[in-house]
Amino acid sequence: MLVALVSRLGQMLLVMFGISVVAFLIFFATPGADPSARIAGRNASQETLVQVRHDFGLDRPLPVQYGLMMERLFISRDLTSFVNRGQKVVPTVLEAIPVTLSLVFGAAVFWVLGGLIVGVVAGATRGSWLDRTLMILSLIGVSIPVFWLGEVANLITQSRWHDSWLFSWVPPLGYIALTDSPWGWFKALVIPWFTLATLYIGLYGRVLRASIIETMQEDFIRTARAKGIGERRVLINHGLRTSLVAFVTMFGLDFGALVGGGALLTEVVFGLQGVGKLTYGALQTLDLPMILATVIYASFFVVMANFVVDVAFVFIDPRARDGH
Amino acid sequence: MRSRKVFSAMLAGVGLAGLMLAASLTGAAGQEGKPGGTLKLLANAAAGTIDPHINYTLQYFQLNYILYDGLVTFRKTGDKTGFEVVADLAESLPKPEDGGKKYVFKLRKGIKFSDGSDLTTADVVASFQRMFKISGPTTGTLYNGIVGADICLKTPASCTLEGGVTADEAASTVTFNLVAPDPDFLQKISIPHAAILPAGAPLKDSGTVPIAGTGPYMIASYDPNSLLKIVRNPHFKEWSKEAQPAGYPDEIDYGFGLTDEAAVTAVENGQADWMFDPPPADRLAELGTIYAKQVSVHPLTAMWYAPMNTNLAPFNDIRVRQAVNYAIDRSAIVKLFGGANLAQPSCQILPPDFPSYAPYCPFTANPGAKWSAPDLEKAKALVAASGTAGQEVTIITEDTEVSKSIGVYLQDVLNGLGYKTSVKPISQNLQFTYIQNTNNKVQISISQWFQDYPAPSDFLQVLFSCASFTPGSDASVNISGFCDKAIDQKMVEAQAAAVADPAKGAELWTAVDKAVTDAAPVAVLFTPKRIDLISPRLKNFVFSPQFYWIISQSWVE
Amino acid sequence: MDNLIAGQAPVRSRRGAEGPWRTAWRKLKVDRAAIMAFGVLVLITAASLAAPLYARYVAQTDPFATNLNGEIVINGETKQVLEPSTEGLSLGFTPLGPTWDFGPYMLGADNQGRDVAARLLYGGRNSLLIAGAAALICLGLATVLGVISGFFGGLVDTLLSRILDVLWAFPIFLLAISLSIVLISQSISIGPIEIRSGSLWLPVFIIGIVYVPYVARPIRGHVLSLMRAEFVTAAIGIGAPPWRILLYDILPNVITRVIVFVPLILALNMMTESSLSFLSIGVQPPDASWGTIIQDGQGLLYSRPIVALAPGLAIVISVLALNILGDGVRDALDPKSSIRVA
Repeated sequence: MLVALVSRLGQMLLVMFGISVVAFLIFFATPGADPSARIAGRNASQETLVQVRHDFGLDRPLPVQYGLMMERLFISRDLTSFVNRGQKVVPTVLEAIPVTLSLVFGAAVFWVLGGLIVGVVAGATRGSWLDRTLMILSLIGVSIPVFWLGEVANLITQSRWHDSWLFSWVPPLGYIALTDSPWGWFKALVIPWFTLATLYIGLYGRVLRASIIETMQEDFIRTARAKGIGERRVLINHGLRTSLVAFVTMFGLDFGALVGGGALLTEVVFGLQGVGKLTYGALQTLDLPMILATVIYASFFVVMANFVVDVAFVFIDPRARDGH
Repeated sequence: MRSRKVFSAMLAGVGLAGLMLAASLTGAAGQEGKPGGTLKLLANAAAGTIDPHINYTLQYFQLNYILYDGLVTFRKTGDKTGFEVVADLAESLPKPEDGGKKYVFKLRKGIKFSDGSDLTTADVVASFQRMFKISGPTTGTLYNGIVGADICLKTPASCTLEGGVTADEAASTVTFNLVAPDPDFLQKISIPHAAILPAGAPLKDSGTVPIAGTGPYMIASYDPNSLLKIVRNPHFKEWSKEAQPAGYPDEIDYGFGLTDEAAVTAVENGQADWMFDPPPADRLAELGTIYAKQVSVHPLTAMWYAPMNTNLAPFNDIRVRQAVNYAIDRSAIVKLFGGANLAQPSCQILPPDFPSYAPYCPFTANPGAKWSAPDLEKAKALVAASGTAGQEVTIITEDTEVSKSIGVYLQDVLNGLGYKTSVKPISQNLQFTYIQNTNNKVQISISQWFQDYPAPSDFLQVLFSCASFTPGSDASVNISGFCDKAIDQKMVEAQAAAVADPAKGAELWTAVDKAVTDAAPVAVLFTPKRIDLISPRLKNFVFSPQFYWIISQSWVE
Repeated sequence: MDNLIAGQAPVRSRRGAEGPWRTAWRKLKVDRAAIMAFGVLVLITAASLAAPLYARYVAQTDPFATNLNGEIVINGETKQVLEPSTEGLSLGFTPLGPTWDFGPYMLGADNQGRDVAARLLYGGRNSLLIAGAAALICLGLATVLGVISGFFGGLVDTLLSRILDVLWAFPIFLLAISLSIVLISQSISIGPIEIRSGSLWLPVFIIGIVYVPYVARPIRGHVLSLMRAEFVTAAIGIGAPPWRILLYDILPNVITRVIVFVPLILALNMMTESSLSFLSIGVQPPDASWGTIIQDGQGLLYSRPIVALAPGLAIVISVLALNILGDGVRDALDPKSSIRVA
C-alpha cells in the first residue's frame, strides 16, 4: 500500500515535470516569442536588444534556461514576469487563488445541491413527466457553452434590465474580496456561480439519476423493501448512499480541474482576476514565467485531484485495488 | 511610440470639435478648484514596470510626467503651446553653444526628491548614466548622440558618459556635449526616459518598486494586478507653473482588471472618474448622446497605417504600393474606427497640426491637399502595369476588433485589385515585433505610430531611414524596410538646417514628408482622435497634445 | 474513469442469434427522442450546406466581404447598413438590426456590414466540419492508442499511459490555447500535408488531439477487461494468433464502445471549437464559425445582441441534439456503460 502511494507520488512529479517541459517548449516554438524586443521597448537599438537578451538569460541554451527558471520558481521564488517587469510570479498566483477558490467553491455548492435535488427527484419519479422535464433541462444545461451563458447573463443583468428593480443590485463586473465586504463578495459572485454551475448541475443530476435507478434494482434494496422500510427511507438511506460513490469521484476530479484553471472562460467573461484569467492573460502576452507558474499550478491540482480520488477510491472500494 | 493598447480616439476641422468640447467640459475659464479628494482611474491592465527610465507606454508616460521631472519638459497646458519645451529642473532653457553641440543647464535650488533628499548635479549625471546602465529602451536611438554614449551602449555596466555629461557642483551646472548638432535634443530629454532620479536609484529595472521623484505626486504602492496608488509628494513646492504645476487631488488610485465595457459603465455612473482604454465601439453612440457632457474628443499626433514590405513581392514594385494607396477607401476605414468624428482620412506621413505639416494627398480621386475618394481605375491600371495580379498576399493584423476589421476590409481591397489575399491576426502583444522581423516575411500589416516628441524626425527618420532598418531583428521599426539613399540624405540635410535655421529646416522636412509619401512605403489610413470619458464630478479636464489629460490639473467635486 | 467500465457482455457474431448491430438498430428505431434529435441534426447540416444558395438568392450579399458603405431598401425606406449616430456628438455606428423578413439582412448586419444570417449558415458549416473532422481524428487516434496499450501491455502500455497522463493533466483549455497561439501564426507540415496558418485544419487538429486521453483511457481499460474475458482467454488457449484475436475478438467489441463516443465527442468538439473561436484562437477571419460570430457579437452586445444570441442558440440546439442522440445510441449499443466526457 505504502509502496503504491510512493510510486503514485513519483508518477505525479513526473507528469508535472512533463507538463512544465511541454509548456516551456511550446513557448520557444512560437514565432515572435522572444520577449527581448518587447522588453527592450519600441524602437530600441540593436545594442540595447542584445543587452536585454543577455540580462534575461535568453541567450543561454534552452536546458540551462529551463533549469534557471525552475530554480527561481521553486527555490528562490523570485521569478519575475517578462511583461510586468518586477512583478513576482509566485505571489501573483497566490493572490489569484482566493478569487478562483471563491468562484469554484460557490459554484460547487450550487451544483452539488442542484445535482442532488435533480438526481434524487428524477430518480424517485422515474418515467414521470417531472423526471422527463428535469432530464431535458439537465441536457440543455449540459449543452450551453459556459461563455455564452455568461454573456447572456451579462447582457441581461448589466445592460438590458440593469436599471430595473430585478437586477439593479448587480455590481459592475469584477471581484470584491470577501474580507472587504462579504455582501459585496456574494453579490459579485452569485451570477458567475450560477453560470459555472449550470453545466455541472445537469451532468451530476443525470449521473446520479442513472446510478440511483441502477442501485434501486439491486438485491439489497429489495431486501430492505421486503423488510417493510418506507420507500423514502430506502431511497435516502440505501439507494442514495451507494450512488454517492460515483458522485464523489466525479466531484473530486471536476473540482480539481476547475480550481486548476478550468474556470478560465467564466473568469474571462465575468472579469474575475483568478488563476484562469491570469493564465489566459499570460498566454496572450506570452509571459513565459507566468505561463509556467500557472500551468504547473493548474496541473498540480488536476494531478492532485486524480491522486486523491484514486486513494479515496481504494479506501471506499477494496475491489478497485487491483483495478490499475 | 506605440500605445500599449490601441487608441480609439478624432479631425476634420481639427481643433473645432475638440476645442468646443473642451470648453464645455472645463466650464468657465479661470474657475478655481479646491485641492483634495481622490481621483479614481481605470485601465483594463497595468502597463508593466514603473521604472521611468524603462517604461515606454503612453499609459505610464502620462503618470510619469506628474511624478518626475527632467531638466526641461513640455509646457503643461491644454493648447498647442503644449508642444513647446520649457525649463523644468533647470533654471532656464539653455542656448545651444558650439554650433549646437553643447548645452549647459543650471539647476534650480531647493528642489527635493520625495524621499527628502536634495536634488544635486550628481543626481543628473547619475540619471543619465543609469539609463544606459539599465539598457533603457531609447538609449540607442534618442540618446546615442551624447558623447560617450557609444561606449555606454557596448558596455553598459561601466558607463560613465565621460565628456558627454559633466557636472560642476560649485556652479550647480551640468554640461552636455553632443557628437553632432541635434535640433531635437531638448525635446528628447523632455520625455520621462530622461527623468532625473536620485543618484542612489537601483541600477536595475526597479519593476514594481517605486523610485523617488521630484514631481507633485509619488507612488505609494503598485500591484500590476489590482492597483497603483499615487499620493502627494510631501516635499514638493511649486517652482514653475508651466513646467510642473501643483496638483489638486490628494490621491490618485489607478485600478486594473476591469473590462472596457465594465469601465464605461463605472465611469458613466460616477463609480470611477476616467478610463484609459478607448470605450468599445458598441458604446460610442450612447456616449455621444446620453453622456455627451462627459465626453471629450481630441485629435492625436499619430497615424494608423499599413506598412508594405518594399523588399518582398508584390510590394517591391512602387506601382503596387501606390495602387494600394489609390484603392483604399479611407472614409470606409474611418467608419470602422467610430466615424468621421473620431478619425480623419489621411494619405501623408506627418499628422495634422504637427511641425512641418502641410496638407498633401497624391492618392485620391482629385489629387491635392485632401483625400476625397478612392481612384480604383488608376489603381487597377497600376497593378496591370506591374503584372503582379494573381499573386498571394497575407495581411498581418493585431487581434483587436479594429485592427482585425481593417484587415478584413483591406483584404477586400486587395482581392479587388486581383490578388489572392488572406488575413492573419496575431496577438497584439506579439504583432508589433513580429511584423518588424524580416525573417517572418511579412508582406503587409496594420500598425499605428504615436509621437514620442513633436518633431518631424520622430515620424520620418524613425520610421523611414535606412538606419532604422535592421534585417533579421525584432527591433527594426522601419517595417517597410524602406531605404532610399536620396531621401536619407534629405533628412540629414533637414536636420542639420534646423539647428541654425528652424524655419528652413521645417521647410525641408515638409519636402521629405512629400517624398516619402510619394514613394508609398506605407499606406497611411487615418489620423485617430482620442475620446476621453470622465465622471460628472471631475472638473477642469485639460488635454495637452503631448501628455494627453494632465491628471494633476483636474479636481473632483 | 477506467473504474466505470467493468463487465460488458462480449459482442461476438454468432450465426443464428440476432446480431448486436441489429439489436441496437431495433432499439434506436423506437427511441423517439433520438430519432427527433437526429432529424434536427440533419436539418441543421442541410441548412448549413445550403449556405451558398442562401447567400446568393436570399441574402444577395457576399457574407465574407465588408459592406461598409452599403445601403438597403426596407419598406420603401433607404437605410444605410452601418447607420451613423447623428445625435449629440455623432460618435460611432450601429449596424442594421434584424428585418425578420426572409430576405437580405434577416438577422441584421454585423459591424462590417455583413449579413448575419448568411454568416450564421456558413459558420455552421465550419463548426460542423471542425467538430466532425476532429472527432474522426480523436476517435481514430484514441482507438489505436487504447487498443495498442491494452493489447500489448508491458512497456508499450506504460509508455503510452504516461504520455496520455501528461496530456490529460495538462488542463484542456490551456493545452488548446497554447497550441492555438503557437500554431496560428505559423504553418506546420506533417509529411506531404502542409497545414497553412489560419487554415481550418488547425482547430481540427488541436481539438482532435486534446480529447484523445479521454477516449483512449476507457478504451484501454475496456481492452484490458476483454483480455481477461473468457472468450479471449479461450482463444489464446487454443493457440489463435494474436492478430486474429485482435481483429476478431477485440476490435468488434471496441468498435461498439467507440461508436457510443461519437455523438458525445461531436458535442464536446463543438463546444470546444466555439470556446476557442470565442477566445479568437480558433477559426480565423474572414472565415466564420459560430464561436467567431459570438465573438463578433460580443462587441455589439449592447446595440445588436442578436449577433451573439443567434449563433449561441445554434450551438445549444446542435449540442442538445447530439447529446440526446448520444443517449439513444448508448442505450441501444452499450446500456451498462456510463461514459462521461466533459
